[in-house]
Amino acid sequence: MVMDKYEAEPKPEEISLLMDGELDAERFDSVCTGLRDTRCMATWVCYHVIGDALRGGASGSIRGFAEHFHATLEAEPTVLAPRRRPAPAAIALAAAATVAAVSLVSWVALTTMPGGDSKAFAALATAKQASAVRAADARPAVENEYVLVHQEYSPTTALQGVRPYLRAVAASEPDARP
Amino acid sequence: MRALKARNDSSRREPRGAAGCVIAALFVAPLAFGQIPPELQRAADAARSLNYTGTIVYQHGNRIETSRLVHLADAGGDYAKLINLEGPAREVIRDNDQVRCYYPDVKLMRIEPRAFHNVFPALLPQQLATLSEYYTFRKAETARIAGLDAQAYIFEPKDNLRYAHKFWVDVGTGLLLKVLLLNERNDPVEHFAFSDIQIGVKLERDMLKPPFPAPPSDWQVRESPPGEVVTKDTGWVVKDMPPGFAKIIEGYRTLRGKQGQVAHLVYSDGLVAVSVFIEPSPSAPQPVGLSQQGGLNVYSRQLNDYLVTVLGEAPGTTVRQIAYSVGRR
Repeated sequence: MVMDKYEAEPKPEEISLLMDGELDAERFDSVCTGLRDTRCMATWVCYHVIGDALRGGASGSIRGFAEHFHATLEAEPTVLAPRRRPAPAAIALAAAATVAAVSLVSWVALTTMPGGDSKAFAALATAKQASAVRAADARPAVENEYVLVHQEYSPTTALQGVRPYLRAVAASEPDARP
Repeated sequence: MRALKARNDSSRREPRGAAGCVIAALFVAPLAFGQIPPELQRAADAARSLNYTGTIVYQHGNRIETSRLVHLADAGGDYAKLINLEGPAREVIRDNDQVRCYYPDVKLMRIEPRAFHNVFPALLPQQLATLSEYYTFRKAETARIAGLDAQAYIFEPKDNLRYAHKFWVDVGTGLLLKVLLLNERNDPVEHFAFSDIQIGVKLERDMLKPPFPAPPSDWQVRESPPGEVVTKDTGWVVKDMPPGFAKIIEGYRTLRGKQGQVAHLVYSDGLVAVSVFIEPSPSAPQPVGLSQQGGLNVYSRQLNDYLVTVLGEAPGTTVRQIAYSVGRR
């Protein structure tokens, strides 16, 4: 990515990269520092809400980072409060995320009571898988239009014969709208 | 199948059929690569000219789906029927250029006249060069797939902006038996393989009939609008395109479910394509961020009054980088 690695204020895409654990190591501290800025923190919170919603509420993948981040925060406590109201889309997604999170928690609670840690872990893994599938199914059908249109341009499909069809059959729910 | 259609198309479209160009991407490339085995050309030919029937296992993300494929080629062209074996039964019937998808669970038939058209424009000479600049091609191991002896070939990316592509072809007939897309950590992203296959069998056209001569009266029939790109300067640009990707088309499309025209720009590095769609922000809130659909990464973001969606068979970081560098010229 062409960008100034030493630029002080994190860009939204850097915050997104940080969340996914894909940020360049050399930018890591700088972006974490930048998160003290409320505007950046609002972006961070907003991305998490959206990310959680898309993942169906399972956010275990960022746990490692959260620990690191908390450690950094503890070293220099700062009050962080997003000022801006999240966009309507984020509110809708937050609602969806809550529903997903509640169902996830109750499902895990039900299935893990008799078992030990390993069972809980397996249950969580299954729940995550299920939520990943839910998230995929929740994609708007109209995006399938994009997928179908895009196939036309994928150079290697000439070799692969049926792959575009497999995607078409697998493309979750057909659009129910007129 | 796409290759076959292109062969049919080429007689009435441009002298250089689209598949010709696609194949050129892989097979003119020997000049750049030094050597590309003729087996890959053979694979493209075999896919459209042989009769075969088999079970395909398609794996993407956490999902595994199995489908039954019947493919028949005769003097009238080529025909294929694909039925999924799990979940709600769905069928795709292709009769040369026309694709019909049947969804009995929702009483819906979709006609996709354009869905798999070969409109792939001629690859630019520099794209053929970038193919060898950004990928290493080599013959890999031999393996046994669906009971057949297969030879593997692999395109390995030289940077982390692309996936690796691995192909296994039947040594006997040249038919492609397995395809694997690997991410930067060498984990499978998408994979399809025949788990059993019969090649060169006698098939009857009856075996490829649609489930009904005409859809029942209570079914919805939906035909895609003519979906060709109207080539035009859209004023949109990708300012920070990953190296090796060149723009191959730019224009507007009319898409089902979309109000107004959607700007569509396609970039390719010779092996994969990345699409950029820009539409006026829909009134309903749209999910943004990264998601996967099959082997495709999809990244959506809001840009002022527009929704930008980037998708392609490329790592998430690549589609995100592209999404964040979309702007007005």
